[in-house]
Amino acid sequence: MASQTPAVVMDNGTGYSKLGFAGNDSPSFVFPTAIATKGPTGGAGGSGSGRPAVANKPSFLTGGAGPGSHLSAKRGTEDLDFFIGDEALSASGGPGYGIHYPIRHGQIDNWDLMERFWSNSIFKYLRVEPEDHYFLLTEPFLTFAEPLNPPENRENTAEIMFESFNCAGLYIAVQAVLALAASWTSSKVQDRSLTGTVIDSGAGVTHVIPVAEGYVIGSSIKSVPIAGRDITNFVQSLLRDRGEPDSSLQTAERIKEEYCYVSPDIVKEYARFDREPEDRFKKHTVNYPNGKSVQVDVGYERFLAPEIFFNPEIYSSDFLTPLPNIVDTVIQTSPIDVRRGLYKNIVLSGGSTLYKDFGRRLQRDIRHLVDARIKASEARSGGAKSGGLDVQVISHKRQRHGPWFGGSLLGQTPEFRSYCHTKAEYDEIGPSIVRRFALLGGPGST
Amino acid sequence: MLLLDYQNVLIESLLRERFAGGAPVSIDQVVSDFDGVTFHISTPETKTKILISIAIKCFSELVQYGAQEVLEREYGPFSIAPENGYDFSVQVDLETLPDDPDAKEDLIRRISLLKRNVMAAPFEQAFDEFKHLQEEASKYTSESAPQGVLEGGEVRAIHYREEEAIYIKASHDRVTVIFSTVFREETDRIFGKVFLQEFVDARRRAIQNAPQVLFRNDPPLELQNVPGVDRSGSNQIGYVTFVLFPRHLAGQRRADVISHIQTFRDYFHYHIKASKAYIHSRMRRRTADFLQVLNRARPENEEKERKTASGRTFRVQG
Repeated sequence: MASQTPAVVMDNGTGYSKLGFAGNDSPSFVFPTAIATKGPTGGAGGSGSGRPAVANKPSFLTGGAGPGSHLSAKRGTEDLDFFIGDEALSASGGPGYGIHYPIRHGQIDNWDLMERFWSNSIFKYLRVEPEDHYFLLTEPFLTFAEPLNPPENRENTAEIMFESFNCAGLYIAVQAVLALAASWTSSKVQDRSLTGTVIDSGAGVTHVIPVAEGYVIGSSIKSVPIAGRDITNFVQSLLRDRGEPDSSLQTAERIKEEYCYVSPDIVKEYARFDREPEDRFKKHTVNYPNGKSVQVDVGYERFLAPEIFFNPEIYSSDFLTPLPNIVDTVIQTSPIDVRRGLYKNIVLSGGSTLYKDFGRRLQRDIRHLVDARIKASEARSGGAKSGGLDVQVISHKRQRHGPWFGGSLLGQTPEFRSYCHTKAEYDEIGPSIVRRFALLGGPGST
Repeated sequence: MLLLDYQNVLIESLLRERFAGGAPVSIDQVVSDFDGVTFHISTPETKTKILISIAIKCFSELVQYGAQEVLEREYGPFSIAPENGYDFSVQVDLETLPDDPDAKEDLIRRISLLKRNVMAAPFEQAFDEFKHLQEEASKYTSESAPQGVLEGGEVRAIHYREEEAIYIKASHDRVTVIFSTVFREETDRIFGKVFLQEFVDARRRAIQNAPQVLFRNDPPLELQNVPGVDRSGSNQIGYVTFVLFPRHLAGQRRADVISHIQTFRDYFHYHIKASKAYIHSRMRRRTADFLQVLNRARPENEEKERKTASGRTFRVQG
């Protein structure tokens, strides 16, 4: 493979973009999907934000189209004056730059900014000549606002990748499918199937996505409005209630990441904390830039915080269904012939699934639900015995950047290139070519 | 971003993070850079020993033009036997780092410039040769100069990409650097032409001491006797010639010139792509405007013929 250039894998999420090369076990760059451009902030992604205006527009065309940007007057290189990622965040702190987030709810919202974001990602960070590399991009299957990711989005992506960047080849994969592929590294996975339930929990929202043979069962997807940010808020409120010396969001986040774990049973865990306080209670030291530091006690929030997935009533008053029940419902609403596979392969993905024993607890709770149902139906049928149902939740080492790692895994396979659409094919057929991709890693491939 | 960085950002940030202290972790990453260069950053033995290897297509040519000496000069104590499949390797031990933060920063910088330094060798050699020729030539008048001094040294060819190459030729009064560029895409070729015209014009307009830039589709005279140059004169290949004068080759400028000129091709392609992105955003804007005009042109309430259930219509008398 030395003569072949590695494929570029880009997973652009709402919060963070993960960029890197196929074959590596972690992305080379992880930074916020943010772009800072000259001028005021674009607000809620309005129609005129961040676009250079058309110069010398006939007057009958201008009316109502929003104020013409000052860019049209200048014929210089103003369009190159922008920053992305962490640099964008620091630039927007200073004067003159406004920050924009080109992706909203997983979907690209402003194509102008996204095109420039990609341009900088490729040339400044990854440093590749797009003509020499194949690209693997990801897309979400669902969003809050719309039930499906419209195929036009794929076409727009392909137009940019092929026409602006002349990239050699392109594959667009669904994030949930890549998350499934990422779980193949776990020792618990015996057969590399693309059937399973993906629990993807990031900062904003948790999705439960059933996938059968590499195809997402769109009608059964469910979202849970509890995710990483809520856990942080919950930790913060606990710290505040106790009157800790530092209860900032950053401290809450540090405590969440360093000390939290999932307990098998809250009542027993409380008892354990009372029995052996010196082991269980921790102290977190917060260092300030001015050299001072304070100590924050870390107590019951260690196991209470992730507990909001399993007992949402301790945090929220409007959303009360525990995550295991949601998973069970999702699988029960899927077609009957794939349910066994969905129960057997429940894959975790995203930063908020990293708590210790998260998978074990989820597996136990789902198994309880399933066993109870089997028992009830056995009782109803009067004597018939069920063969039982295997419930297995898979945790693996690459959970945090699951979709990216799945892309890296599939992108390094020798047959990856044959699944891509090439520039020549695009020129022949046009953007509609990307509406269909052969299923990468599906049956028939290794 | 107008100019591309010369250093590899990933290597730079990775080393900076590692050098700053913190628990050693194992690294194993294969990273690409422009022009088909591949880096491999790994910690094969222990987590504190970071091995950085580079694979570059034209390494044998570069060695021929003195790459080993340049690398020895830049990385002396850090260079080790190249890793299998790669051309050159450096190893840094986190436990024996210099204490001085400036020295650390310098080391980071030097390693992240690995590709630049490898590629710099033929340029340095040519610049040295230029200096030598200049001294030689000052001894003669233009008539009495012997063979070899007048027409300058040999042409150094670096085939750094599959179909493209850099040619460097030193003479007694200048160094000529020629890039051959290939465009597969019609649009790119046109953008490239416009862009290069700007380069050619820049000297005429504002920047008097810029190097002279020439652009043509057939090989320039300097490449007359160089093997492997496509002389068919097809439209696909273009030759960009930079003429570097003595003022570009003196002192501190020398290193900058090498850095700049190396990234020329990538810079060129980056700007073609950025121009396309700019034009695309204007096209999107225009489309949005036209759509707005169309929406406004729609009659406000179209009078539709109403029918009863049986299909008869009423006519308003009046």
